[in-house]
Amino acid sequence: MTREANLRLFVALSVLFVLLWTMVPFFWMLWASFMTDSELTEGIVQGIDEPTLEHYKRIFGHADKEAIFGGQTKLIGQGFLNSLVVALPVAIIGTAIATLAGYAFGRFNFPAKTGLLFGLLLTRVLPPVAILIPYFTMFRTVGLVGDPGGLILTYLTGIIPLLSWVLMGYFATLPLEVERAARIDGCSRLKVLWYVIIPMAAPGISAAFIIAFLFAWNELLFGIILVGGTKWQTLSPALLAISPLTAVGYSPIALFSAASALSIAPPLILALIFQRYITRLNIVDPVTVRE
Amino acid sequence: MTALQRVAAWRGAGHLTDAQFALAIVVGVLLFHVVIIIVPLAYSFWLSLHETNVILRSSEYVGFDLWAEALFEEETQSATLKSLYFAGVSVVLSLVLSLGMALVLNQEFPGRGILRALILLPWAVSEVVTATMWTIMLEPAWGFFNGALEPLGIVSQGHVWLNKDWALFWLAVAFTWHIAPLGTFFFLAALQTIPQDLYNAARIDRAGVISRFYHVTLPHIRYAVLIVLVVVTVEAFRQFDLVFAMTSGGPGTTTQILPLLIFRYNFQFSQYGLASAASFILIIIATILAVAYFVLMTRRSKQSRVAAAQRRAAAKAEAS
Repeated sequence: MTREANLRLFVALSVLFVLLWTMVPFFWMLWASFMTDSELTEGIVQGIDEPTLEHYKRIFGHADKEAIFGGQTKLIGQGFLNSLVVALPVAIIGTAIATLAGYAFGRFNFPAKTGLLFGLLLTRVLPPVAILIPYFTMFRTVGLVGDPGGLILTYLTGIIPLLSWVLMGYFATLPLEVERAARIDGCSRLKVLWYVIIPMAAPGISAAFIIAFLFAWNELLFGIILVGGTKWQTLSPALLAISPLTAVGYSPIALFSAASALSIAPPLILALIFQRYITRLNIVDPVTVRE
Repeated sequence: MTALQRVAAWRGAGHLTDAQFALAIVVGVLLFHVVIIIVPLAYSFWLSLHETNVILRSSEYVGFDLWAEALFEEETQSATLKSLYFAGVSVVLSLVLSLGMALVLNQEFPGRGILRALILLPWAVSEVVTATMWTIMLEPAWGFFNGALEPLGIVSQGHVWLNKDWALFWLAVAFTWHIAPLGTFFFLAALQTIPQDLYNAARIDRAGVISRFYHVTLPHIRYAVLIVLVVVTVEAFRQFDLVFAMTSGGPGTTTQILPLLIFRYNFQFSQYGLASAASFILIIIATILAVAYFVLMTRRSKQSRVAAAQRRAAAKAEAS
């Protein structure tokens, strides 16, 4: 009996640890975002006398202190919109292309399949920093630097291999019978894909959509290089512009915390939806969930 | 007309075969990638063979000199070693943490569904925000760690966590926080495939918790261990955003991993040739990992193909 009780205690402590490890960084960032700067410099655990919404107000442009950061706080709001303009097309087009590719890879055998699959996957492993200069030069030549189109194209190349891989694994788990029946009844392959496969694979496709959206929403490096400092600057570069690392002398970490807290709202909501899909799927092949 | 005849008629009507249909799609997608990956890579290769002079706007062919420089110069070598260290620490921490979390989440306890949803959140957060959060945790003057640990006398007043010896380690901890949920989901998926009977049998044999883990759990999750290993290594090698946002390579150059150094060669020193040569070292390391990854993946899909073939054969036998 004591053994059983010990085990239960151990599980309870482990659960507590997992909860703290996951949530404590979120908690303190949120906490910092409600502190004034002077309160924060006294120590984050010392507590808040009166929670302030000053930083959030400043981000939404209701405070008249914009000059302090050279109007950088306005860039957060702009970055929000720009990231949406970039991330939505990436998610939609990327998922559409990857659905086709995943269907082809997951359902059919064809010559050189392994080689082609490897070629696709290899592009995923390529470190982004390794193709930075060629991309920059290429896009400058065709006038896509400082343009969301260039960024969308870059993100699509970055995410399609991964999405194809995820969806390939997912399609392979679906039963063949319905598809075969539809084909026998005279449906074309694309019709089968549209009317049979896609509805069946909806959870997997939604998951792919969310993975693509998160990737485009969060990415920093190509954001800096292709649209950093322009009117199309996305959220991550905009956040970095008010980061205490780059700000000279005075550290606006409380404001930065508020901006960061706002920036993660869409990803968090999407991740919670994504999580529901995973548990609903029941069978999660390891191959089907990668990043 | 029987079903079979109908299929035959449809095939005969000048349509593509299955293989042609699939190949057309795949080649289309790949062509897109060839243009947008291979062309830049070829250009990068050309750059790596030329020493560029930004002021004179000229470039001179130098063969593989820059590759040699990237391989043997102390600066690049130390950056490569830092990348390896960062990846190594991240892999060990992620493996232990994600398996631990998966084992916990595989237990029955109230609120398990909520916790499963929550542990995914660090993965959804960008690297920039991960850097913010861990800066708040580690800040020496007012951060959470010092604020909580100083009164207990565990650390000295104003302890600098991101010092020259430990900064890279803490970056790996922050990265682990961000990436471990992914591993947890691989492991949870693998754990759910283990038949409960095996545990019951082991219990009847009076196997203890540790023995059960070794003889029942581990053989079933061996594949997931390998996947997490490779995925985290590849992701750690690619990582730029987190390190750039959290330390920018500092203090000094102690956290200047290879991607950061390449970035500096490009945008601070305009040494495009050297940057490209160093990039190829990174690409080669990553490719070796990718091959390992791919071999593991295909071995797995062969297994599932065999299983699928068996299922189909069983279904056929049942139908006839």
